[in-house]
Amino acid sequence: MKRRARLVLAAVATLALVPGLGAAVAQLPRFGAHPLPYGEAINRVAPVERHVTNMVTAVNFDYRGLDTVGEEFMLLTAVTGALVLLRGRRGESVTDSAAEAPGRPIPQRSPALRLLCRCFAPVLLLFGLYVVLHAQLTPGGGFQGGAIIGSGTLLIYLGEDYRIWRRHMRAHLFDAMEAVGALLFLGAGIAPMIAGASFLQNILPLGRTGSLISGGLILIANAGVALAVTGGFVLLLLEFLEETRAAEPEDEA
Amino acid sequence: MSLLPWTVALWLFAIGLYGVITSRHYVHLIGCLTVVQSSTYVLLLAVGYRWGAGAPIFFDHPPGTPAVDPVVQALVLTDIVVGATVTALLLALALQVHKRRGTVDPDALRPLR
Repeated sequence: MKRRARLVLAAVATLALVPGLGAAVAQLPRFGAHPLPYGEAINRVAPVERHVTNMVTAVNFDYRGLDTVGEEFMLLTAVTGALVLLRGRRGESVTDSAAEAPGRPIPQRSPALRLLCRCFAPVLLLFGLYVVLHAQLTPGGGFQGGAIIGSGTLLIYLGEDYRIWRRHMRAHLFDAMEAVGALLFLGAGIAPMIAGASFLQNILPLGRTGSLISGGLILIANAGVALAVTGGFVLLLLEFLEETRAAEPEDEA
Repeated sequence: MSLLPWTVALWLFAIGLYGVITSRHYVHLIGCLTVVQSSTYVLLLAVGYRWGAGAPIFFDHPPGTPAVDPVVQALVLTDIVVGATVTALLLALALQVHKRRGTVDPDALRPLR
């Protein structure tokens, strides 16, 4: 479609939609003064029923756990699709060195950068682990912690160099992590069915509120998500960085 | 004041959509798409907000203290992570388009025959 025609079409559509949108916004409830019954109910019953203190985790991995299974597999599909597209005909072969643009050599890492990254990388990975493990107690969970750990590994690339990063980030390991994570979550859903309960029903002992081991099945689902998100993020980083290498003749998909 | 959050969500949606419509570059288009997506975060979090309420974490507040809605927060949380991976998928598609056709301008691409 021509550019001008598209703009005209968009303008006409906007004119048609604006009155309805304005009416809808005017009808929205007053900001900050309209508790929704569902959230209120969760805040009331979840601490008693599930022995957890983080309501968001209770919603994510228990009350609306089925939704999260769907989200989890959306994530798996998106990562798989991106990997298949990026790997192309190259398959699983990898290179040891990042590509070098002509005239722009990769500088040596300075000692200061190296030291900083070596100090911060373990702290960041540990923080990610903390966020994962305290999902049922304090703000955090598998999604957030997995993203922190996955991105934290980039500090290794920043502080060392591509070869070392590549040597420690084994794609097979993270492939397995991604799949095992998704399977673990699905298993946490199906295992209660084998025991005669419903899908994702929290039949495990719930533990004492406020302790690290509390919430029953939430812990397992959370661990599955953490594994899958970490694996997914690292795989995406690996493949996008691999994309920067100089193309070899047999690579062209 | 009470209209501000809705207006911000609307503005983010509209400006992102405008970017998508007028985009001349797929990477720019994907960026605009994430702006559209972030309008849903603002909308959902605004729906769940309550004046004078804390976070829905009852670790150091006893259960029963006023807290904002945890359901919409859970929705936004999964949305952000899944959105990041879907963005990666779209960027991978843009890379493939560039490899095969040598351009990332949507206008320059004709339908496949």
